[in-house]
Amino acid sequence: MPELVAENIFKRLGGAEILREISLHLDRGEILALLGPSGSGKTTLLRCIAGLERPDAGRIILGGKVIFDAASAHEVPAEKRGFGLVFQSYAIWPHRSVYENAAYGLRLRRTGAAEIKIKVEKILRRLGLDAMAARYPHQLSGGQQQRVALARALAYSPPVLLLDEPLSNLDAKLREEARIWIRELIKETQAAALYVTHDQTEALAIADRILVLDDGLVQQEGTPEEIYARPASRFVAEFMGSNNRLEGKIAETKGSRARLEGEGWSLWGELGASKRRGEKSAGIIRVERIRLAGDGGENRLPMSLKSASYLGERWEYLLVASELQIRVWGDKALPPGDYSVEFPPEALWIF
Amino acid sequence: MKLGGPRLAAILGVTLAVAAPMGLLFYQSFLSAPFFDPSARFSFEAYQYILASPDFHRAFASSFAISLCMTIIAVPLGSLLGFLIVRTDIPGRRWLEPWLLVPVFLSPVVLAFGYVVAVGPVGFFSLWAKSLFGTVPWNLYSLAGLIFIAGLTHVPHVFLYVSSALRGVDPTVEEAARVTGAGPWRIAVTVSLPLVRPAILFSGALVFLLGFELFGLPLVLGDPAGLLVLTTYLYKLTNLLGVPSYQLMAVVAISIVAITFPLVYVQRRFMGAAARYAVIGGKGRAFRPLPLGALRWPMTGLVLLWLLIVVVLPLAGVALRSVVRYWGEGVALSEVLTLDHFRELGRYPNLIRGIVNTLLIGSVGGALAVGVYAAVALSAHRAPGIWPSLLDYLVLVPRALPGLVVGLAFFWLFLFFKPLAPLRTTLFSLWIAYAVVWLAYGLKLITATLMQVSPDLEDAARVTGASPGLVYRDVTLPLIRFGLLGSWLLIFMMFVREYSTGVYLLGPGTEVIGSLIVSLWGTGALDLISALSVVEVVIVGLAILIAIRLGVRLDA
Repeated sequence: MPELVAENIFKRLGGAEILREISLHLDRGEILALLGPSGSGKTTLLRCIAGLERPDAGRIILGGKVIFDAASAHEVPAEKRGFGLVFQSYAIWPHRSVYENAAYGLRLRRTGAAEIKIKVEKILRRLGLDAMAARYPHQLSGGQQQRVALARALAYSPPVLLLDEPLSNLDAKLREEARIWIRELIKETQAAALYVTHDQTEALAIADRILVLDDGLVQQEGTPEEIYARPASRFVAEFMGSNNRLEGKIAETKGSRARLEGEGWSLWGELGASKRRGEKSAGIIRVERIRLAGDGGENRLPMSLKSASYLGERWEYLLVASELQIRVWGDKALPPGDYSVEFPPEALWIF
Repeated sequence: MKLGGPRLAAILGVTLAVAAPMGLLFYQSFLSAPFFDPSARFSFEAYQYILASPDFHRAFASSFAISLCMTIIAVPLGSLLGFLIVRTDIPGRRWLEPWLLVPVFLSPVVLAFGYVVAVGPVGFFSLWAKSLFGTVPWNLYSLAGLIFIAGLTHVPHVFLYVSSALRGVDPTVEEAARVTGAGPWRIAVTVSLPLVRPAILFSGALVFLLGFELFGLPLVLGDPAGLLVLTTYLYKLTNLLGVPSYQLMAVVAISIVAITFPLVYVQRRFMGAAARYAVIGGKGRAFRPLPLGALRWPMTGLVLLWLLIVVVLPLAGVALRSVVRYWGEGVALSEVLTLDHFRELGRYPNLIRGIVNTLLIGSVGGALAVGVYAAVALSAHRAPGIWPSLLDYLVLVPRALPGLVVGLAFFWLFLFFKPLAPLRTTLFSLWIAYAVVWLAYGLKLITATLMQVSPDLEDAARVTGASPGLVYRDVTLPLIRFGLLGSWLLIFMMFVREYSTGVYLLGPGTEVIGSLIVSLWGTGALDLISALSVVEVVIVGLAILIAIRLGVRLDA
């Protein structure tokens, strides 16, 4: 039985439809990422589940109990739902010490003083905050504040942890480290987690499963590998990874494959949507899947290298041929000149 | 969230406190005699009498002229002052700013009295000027004198709004004008001030409105010249006819409200426009003030001259007058120095009670008022539905009511409702009138404080398991503690300087310094007035110092 179920959540804010019948389920101990660009509705969905916003339609079930049902106007208030929530702004209370921030949820649950001390000290130690228990938020760095927010949300062992872009206010280096230990931490606590982010790398690294949202709708649901390697729509294909786009027309189809044709070029690719001959289409291919080959061959195009830029761990080449302009990655400096560029047909998705 | 008990209580309380006095005024204005007179019946007589009275017409014309002219004086000066202090390198910006706001916290009746003894026909400075030029080059007791002083003393009201709006304007727009080749004067006139035009309009409407509510200045300065404005006409009405003519007073009060209420409404519209402009604000980046160049010292001189006229002159006058036995032509200062006036205060139990009451209503009453304002503000804080906007409109009513009118309405209310009658002679009657007069100001203070609490902090407590009541107790209230303390200090000063609201409620047990000065002015007891004024200025001055020390913003 799933720990958390949201069914057909519909939410309108000032005339705009923010969520259009979104459903999701979250299994025990699972980390589900809600991934989408800003304005996709992911934070609103999280706030609806937490009880901070009221959906216009839909049903939410937590641990088998209905906590919201628009049809019967049944609504458990936010404070009775028992989630743990980590805010993007952290929202740690500036007038309470680190210890008191973390202890608040336990105090509200009338936990005994001795037990509070044990539990709070344990979570603070786990997050490396034990030396700062007496400090106040303004005496902490951004990374430490973020960990206090996590400690506060985890201290009373909620069955489901909700995280709203918890890493977006950290600098890049801290963020990369946090991806790893946050996943470990959640797995340790055995809580299920709903993780809202707009950062695909973060979603890929942290989640067991990803829900890609756009425009208030679920665009695709699947494991990180599925989302990245087998995008179901042009939106998901372009949203994930670093891509080249080739605009053209379908010249012929053969099974699941189709030949995309533009001015002076034609390439075979995998059909991602049903298309007829002559229909305008776009080919999407991840930058890392394109290879520079020595000579001509199948699904290759002769192109000329215009520039090579050094990006640290790799080189990025810009290649052009008539109206086409694509980026390719490589590991060394290359002189300008003519090259043969290979587009593996299974990596070129036509939408 | 549902309409819980506390919210319902707040709605009922505010509505009642605002509507009851207003309704009684309205009711009385349509009676032929005082409401307690059994012969009173419904009639338009009072309106017919007042609207046909030449005195009323003259008072209306004077009020209108004063309002218009003081707006014309205060708006450009206040805007210029705002630009100078917020944007330029005028010397002493930091310490100058609190001084610019001091007139807001001084009682107009004290200021007016100060002008009388400083620059009146036989004032200290007038006689000094006479010894220099052979004649006094000004006439305080004239419409022009009154307008001049009313205009200058309302400069801070404009400064307050223009400066805060200017702080919201991204300084790079001025830097862009500077790089293009504009000097500071041009930048002010073509870039900065046009950008804060809504704030300028708003403060202009405010000053125009305050012009109709002026009481202390015209009472003291207009009297010798026989000049009446609407409020002083209302105040003198009883004496004019010799009988308690409540229905006539009610009509005058209603006609003042008929003018001020639309003004408040217009002002509110301007405020909405101001809020739309406010988005220009960028990050709180440090920026270099605009160098004034050659204008630096002339502008400093202008600001200091204004301060001299508005703060130094009247306060020096009051202070000097309180330590001289008498004053007139040919009197040598060193021969008449005395502290007798302060000793004399002790001989009048009502004056001593007045001082004690003033402190009580400021401190205890102020704290209670802040508590009530906080409860009302919290009941509307992040509340769904129409209550927040309803409250917005309710608050407009007391803003349109001069203190004198509110005091009168509450005086009647305590007469009208027999169960309330015993309260009339207690400080409670004064307190509730004060609390209603300062309702809008107090709510604004608390709401501004509440706005600084991020909704996330409250949401975090709710998700953690706290009920709405616990969220207020554990998160919201502790976070606005300092804001509440600051509001208390500001309300303390406003309650101490208040004078017009207590005029009609003045009686044994409800004396306060402000209304005592008004009533003493009628008897000409200059010695006692000067001593009382000094006491009031010292109390307010100490409160200002504490506020500055604690870092409370005076321009809230």
